[in-house]
Amino acid sequence: MKTLIVARGGAEFAARKMILAVRHRGDTPAVLFFGTAEAAGELRDCGSGEIATWDGKALATSPGEAGVAVLERFAREYQPELILFAADSSGREWAPRLAWRLGAGLITECTGWSTGADGKLAFERPVYGGKATATFVSETALSIAVVQAGTLEAPETAAESSAPVRVLDYAIATDPAWPVVAERVVESGTGPSLQDARIVVAGGRGVGGAENFKLLEQLAQTVDAALGASRAAVDEGWVPPSWQVGQTGKSVRADLYFAIGISGASQHIAGLAAAKNVVAINTNGDAPIFNVARLGIVGDYKEVLPPLMGRLKEMLGK
Amino acid sequence: MHALVCIKEVLDPEITPAQFRVNAQTRKAEVPGAALVTSIFDINALETALKLRDAAGAGTVTVLSLGARSAETILRKALGCSANAAVLLSDEAFAELDPAGVATVIAAAVKKLERDGKPVDVVMTGRQAADFEHGQTGGLLAEALGWPCLTFISKVKPMPGGLEARREIEDGHLLIHAKTPLVLTITNDETNQPRLPKVRDVMMANRAKIPVWGCAELDLDGAKLAPRVRASSLAVAQRDSHCEVVEGESAQAKAVALADRLRELKIV
Repeated sequence: MKTLIVARGGAEFAARKMILAVRHRGDTPAVLFFGTAEAAGELRDCGSGEIATWDGKALATSPGEAGVAVLERFAREYQPELILFAADSSGREWAPRLAWRLGAGLITECTGWSTGADGKLAFERPVYGGKATATFVSETALSIAVVQAGTLEAPETAAESSAPVRVLDYAIATDPAWPVVAERVVESGTGPSLQDARIVVAGGRGVGGAENFKLLEQLAQTVDAALGASRAAVDEGWVPPSWQVGQTGKSVRADLYFAIGISGASQHIAGLAAAKNVVAINTNGDAPIFNVARLGIVGDYKEVLPPLMGRLKEMLGK
Repeated sequence: MHALVCIKEVLDPEITPAQFRVNAQTRKAEVPGAALVTSIFDINALETALKLRDAAGAGTVTVLSLGARSAETILRKALGCSANAAVLLSDEAFAELDPAGVATVIAAAVKKLERDGKPVDVVMTGRQAADFEHGQTGGLLAEALGWPCLTFISKVKPMPGGLEARREIEDGHLLIHAKTPLVLTITNDETNQPRLPKVRDVMMANRAKIPVWGCAELDLDGAKLAPRVRASSLAVAQRDSHCEVVEGESAQAKAVALADRLRELKIV
């Protein structure tokens, strides 16, 4: 199956995972990369096919409109049967618009796909906040999927390729009707990024207030973790929206995920599908978070965290 | 400014996994007695639109729902929160739409509003619905209308000729200046939480006449709404619990035991 993967600089983990997942199915995907040719070339270490890059100025000023314009032009030239996007803010924005322009069937938040006996592509995905799973069949010649890369079945590595990297010379004329980015504000976390962190410390409604997140920050510093939160904590205004984990936020792939005062709504748990070990600390032993946790403590996190940090510091020699 | 907010009637997302059931034949959730509510991000979208109107000191917020006749209830609820007008899109031909079909129908409604002398400046949708969570309506609708689109917007301020929108991204946010008309998909933050309706508005809402538009009113050919994607199966997600609850005499003892287990399991 002729497959095109859409990737961007800064989201290389998702790009590699998608490439490996396609190779696992016996195909070699082409890549359209938004970023530098140098960064794109590194994706050959997991066996990508030919790579095209585009890094025009309009990508910074009007990322939505410019990105879709480049995608449409490239896809019409390359004529893929399947286009994969990562489930991040860019992929989720671009995919529906490209699907409309190309008349393609689109399935979002996919965790896997296969070709049915009728030759049609079938995509698996969680729905109803993770309470159910659905299969969607695409009826069109071109299918587009937005995938939760962390959950894809794929080998760890593949043989390096020597596929060519081509810098696209598309001149994308900006339209005066396009929205323009006036300011980009990076929330300067000191620790690792939430999606890529090996350890995540996340808090929910049970944390009880913005001030109380300081205790979680201390634990995060102790184990070099990223900070996360449930939707409830974001809605209360205790933490910024960029901390939100779940079906309606970020997906994490941490080895260790501390869920503190998080009851475990299905939509939150859906963001933990690729997390290896969940540790739940909650006063309510019946909270659904314990159903997905490997280890748990029924108790008040305010009493648990200080001695937990003390013991971890001893172990880690801090 | 005329804002059109698209709201969807969904099964109450607070239903627990233990209560949740599906009908494998119809490929829909089936929980007898469960409430139907407004999809949560659509409530955030409504609140964002109401705040934009109130900040501008003028303007209109129209709420629209595509669905069964029962969706009139969530439209009245939105009117009770001070939305100015409501319209229901309902027709037998809309029963099994895919996201592209939904966008086609809503785009037809935007065009009808324009024909009726009520042109729309900004359409707001929730970032994704609480049932099938496609997260596609906003982007598809923007394309159907030929308008720009901004996704994951949490705050909106009026500006001459348009608006300033805050877009939430992975490592922070963008402040974006946009001209109207355009489509926004709205995500949650602390500023767009639902308000409590006023008694007077609720009474007015209960008396309001809500027009129902189908294929005839929208000048649509129902046969042209054939889906590009269709659900072929729906099943309750399987979960096996293997949680080891760490015991101890005190919180201190439990905490130390937890740290020790993490080390034994080579997790830290």
